[in-house]
Amino acid sequence: MLFWILVATLTAAVAAVLILPLLRAGEAPSSPHSHDIEVYRDQLEELKRDQDSGLIGGDDAELARAEVARRLLAAGESDGEAATSAAPRRGAGRLAQAFVLLCLPAVGLCLYLLTGSPGLPAQPLAARLADPNGDINILIAKAENHLAVNPNDGAGWDLLAPIYMRNGRVEDAVDAYDRAIRLLGPTPARLGGYAEALVVQSGGLVTSKAQDALKQALSLDPNDPRSEFYLALGLKQEGKKEEALTAFNRLVATSPADAPWLPLVRQHVAELAGPGAASAAAPGNPSADDVVAAQSMTAGDRQEMIRGMVDSLESRLKENPDNLEGWARLIRSHVVLDQRDKALAALREGLKTFPADGDGGKQLLALARELGIATDGATQ
Amino acid sequence: MIIELGHYALVLALATAVIQAALPILGARLNDRGLMELASSAAVACFLLVAFAFAVLTFAYVTSDFSVRNVWENSHSLKPMIYKISGVWGNHEGSMLLWLLILTFFSALVASFGRNLPETLKANVLAVQAWIAVAFALFILLTSNPFARLVPAPGEGKDLNPILQDVGLAIHPPLLYLGYVGFSVCFSFAIASLIEGRIDAAWARWVRPWTLAAWTFLTAGISMGSYWAYYELGWGGWWFWDPVENASFMPWLAGTALLHSALVMEKREALKIWTVLLAIMTFSLSLLGTFLVRSGVLTSVHAFATDPTRGIFILAILVFFIGGAFTLFALRVSYLKAGGIFAPISREGALVFNNLILTTATATVLTGTLYPLVLEALTGDKISVGPPFFNMTFGLLMLPLLFAVPFGPLLAWKRGDLAGVSQRLFASVAIGLVFGVAYYYFMNGGPVLALFGIALGVYLIAGSLTDLALRSGLGKVAGNVAWRRFSGLPRSAFGTALAHIGLGITLIGIVAVTAFETETVVEMKPGMTVEAGGYTLRFDGMRNGSGPNYSEESGHFTISRGGVALTEVWSSKRLYQARRMPTTEAGIRTFGLSQLYVSLGDQISEGGIVVRIWWKPMILCIWGGTLFMMAGGFVSLSDRRLRVGAPAKAKRPKTVPVGAAE
Repeated sequence: MLFWILVATLTAAVAAVLILPLLRAGEAPSSPHSHDIEVYRDQLEELKRDQDSGLIGGDDAELARAEVARRLLAAGESDGEAATSAAPRRGAGRLAQAFVLLCLPAVGLCLYLLTGSPGLPAQPLAARLADPNGDINILIAKAENHLAVNPNDGAGWDLLAPIYMRNGRVEDAVDAYDRAIRLLGPTPARLGGYAEALVVQSGGLVTSKAQDALKQALSLDPNDPRSEFYLALGLKQEGKKEEALTAFNRLVATSPADAPWLPLVRQHVAELAGPGAASAAAPGNPSADDVVAAQSMTAGDRQEMIRGMVDSLESRLKENPDNLEGWARLIRSHVVLDQRDKALAALREGLKTFPADGDGGKQLLALARELGIATDGATQ
Repeated sequence: MIIELGHYALVLALATAVIQAALPILGARLNDRGLMELASSAAVACFLLVAFAFAVLTFAYVTSDFSVRNVWENSHSLKPMIYKISGVWGNHEGSMLLWLLILTFFSALVASFGRNLPETLKANVLAVQAWIAVAFALFILLTSNPFARLVPAPGEGKDLNPILQDVGLAIHPPLLYLGYVGFSVCFSFAIASLIEGRIDAAWARWVRPWTLAAWTFLTAGISMGSYWAYYELGWGGWWFWDPVENASFMPWLAGTALLHSALVMEKREALKIWTVLLAIMTFSLSLLGTFLVRSGVLTSVHAFATDPTRGIFILAILVFFIGGAFTLFALRVSYLKAGGIFAPISREGALVFNNLILTTATATVLTGTLYPLVLEALTGDKISVGPPFFNMTFGLLMLPLLFAVPFGPLLAWKRGDLAGVSQRLFASVAIGLVFGVAYYYFMNGGPVLALFGIALGVYLIAGSLTDLALRSGLGKVAGNVAWRRFSGLPRSAFGTALAHIGLGITLIGIVAVTAFETETVVEMKPGMTVEAGGYTLRFDGMRNGSGPNYSEESGHFTISRGGVALTEVWSSKRLYQARRMPTTEAGIRTFGLSQLYVSLGDQISEGGIVVRIWWKPMILCIWGGTLFMMAGGFVSLSDRRLRVGAPAKAKRPKTVPVGAAE
């Protein structure tokens, strides 16, 4: 309320300032040429000074004086004309006042309501830090400030890592899990979280780094469902369908009947078991952790987005194939999209520019092997 | 609430500008005093509203209010206070708000100090200023609103680009904008006079202080930007002919031409049409510069964000104002009567010569800047027009102009005596050559061109002093008479001399650095020494440190001469945490007018690091010269004649125009 009172006051004050001169509307201004005349008079004086200091010769000074005098006369004459012409009209002032009174609030309020956020208070950082009151971002910031000073506080990183994950700050989550593991030692939860963050970071692909972490987690707790799930997913991405199916089935068997991740797992089982069964398994309500992973695995628009990126990458590489990193990314992306034949084709194309016996080619082949693509036929 | 109030103030400023754009022009038509006087009140109100909005944004930065998107994107709570404040304009939205603030500031100045102007002219000028303000306020509110909010507010900001975390940012943009936007007043004067269809010698005098003020600030802004790039970017260069630099240099060249042609118009009522055209062109180039820098057409540290809608919006503003101005010019040009006549050899002739060269130079820079962009848009080919092109074309163009500079003030109006002036300048030429040869000798060789460059610079300084000496009759009359005459000279004479001396000093600096600078790139290990410019640098080792929002590695060097340790210098590389961005902080030591510049490269082996060391002889002359030019600008501004024009009956207590120091 106070805000609107202030807005009204401000508008009224500006309107008053603008209306004030209009009350004198209708008055004719002073002669427009009196200003010119003043300038020309000054020029005549200046001419005299220039002549005294020898800057301008006597004859030329005379001519210049005549020139200025002509301007002076001309200004004086038109001044006389102006005085007799153009008697100011009344009524213009009234209209102008109405325009001012209408324009200020109309333009002001319309645009402000369109672009502003009325009622949103200012939020200086100091005040928020003093009273966080459930402000998650401030809690994060406070923890960060604390960790900037005490980077060896493992518990702090451990606490922060899942929060980063939930807030979509994947890079930071990877870093925080990594530090927590190094400082506090590995646990299935930390390793699983770390692997999950890595998976999201690489756009849904279960990389070998993630797999290592998952395997370590399972060695600590063979029944950690999250690690099992991602490992199985990794197998699926590598094209090892049988092994993936076995792994998913084992997860189904060991999970409690009401486990929230079961529908998602069943979906994968259905996809692997036969293409026809895929649509039968509708996704249920996965847990918060699964949502993050599921976003990257199933959401149609995300796939669509990746596909668009892949297409543009492909055409760019066609124009300029001398881009090792580009080829690596293309192969990786095709694997994520489960287009193994295309990944193989991309590998072949890439090897044309980077021969298999060179450094670049070796890197590409190593990558393909890591992703589970059969590289035997690629080098021909 | 305060944030939203600032936002509303900005919107209200737009509404006020709309009124200011419409009613005064009507008043000038109807010869209605009230409507015309509204312009002044509106201009001041508009300025106060924008100033309030700007203060609110600054407040948001100072208190790290991350609920404001702009603050979140460009600030960090750990940033030192000065960079929190300068960060307000270290980003697209804030810098456009600063642009608007300065625009309305100039309007308010015209409103407050323009009492010597005829009322219709003043009303029209302020209305045209308001059109520009409306365009830019709309641009800000619709495409780059600095008051956009974030819910919920993030806990920490993304920090300012580390390159911009420097005192340079606190000074360079405001000065540059004062120059850029200052030319809007000249533009408005030109348009107003075209609307009225009346333009005469008095007009030139009224425009002159604004041109001078804008020119002085632009000189300062460009010079500051150059020095900033020199010490912050770590490349050791001071001018790169980068499109962004050109964007600010073109209005400067055109503005310099305007300053000189307005002189002819004021004195002789000649070159009227040309002067009006120049006034339009100068501000058009400022707008073009804004477009190039802000649209994302160019990639540089200045292109904060690339958003196509912004580019199109600014392009529309550009087309409207430049196109509109030239259309109006074409419609009205036949009304303008040509003024006085003059012989080719005369002060007027010299100024025309100046204008010809400066506009050609502007066109050259414009071509070199736009050609790669146009080519890329049409064919997709990327080419870069670099320093060789500009040095050849621009440098060659400038030579005759520089030689002619001392002739100008010495030639008489209307009909001058070239032989006589040459005779009087003979001593200056001789002094210049002696200095050139002496410098050549002491620097032990170097390119022959450098000899002429130094000679030309000294000749410029001596020639300007000659003018002052001749005017005061030094040597012809008794000492005390000469002194009296000297102190009685109009301030503008001193201004001219100072600016021309500054030009000479800058030239000397440029030539000396170009011809005699040395660059050494070596991999250094602790204990190693390198010679540069007669000094010996010993690398003592690296040290790690940290600042409020960065960590740094600094190398320590001891500088000695002839075995005697003189001083030390730190050169460092910083890593800014929030953006994970590295910067170099060059170590610079000044010896007289010369500098030793040490920049760190990559660490190669253990304890070894690549170090670039430059010896820059007389480099401070480059910026020192611009200080003289600015001083010249301010001295000229304080000339009493610039305030003449108010009719006696309306005389009020003497008021002083911008920046005048009396």
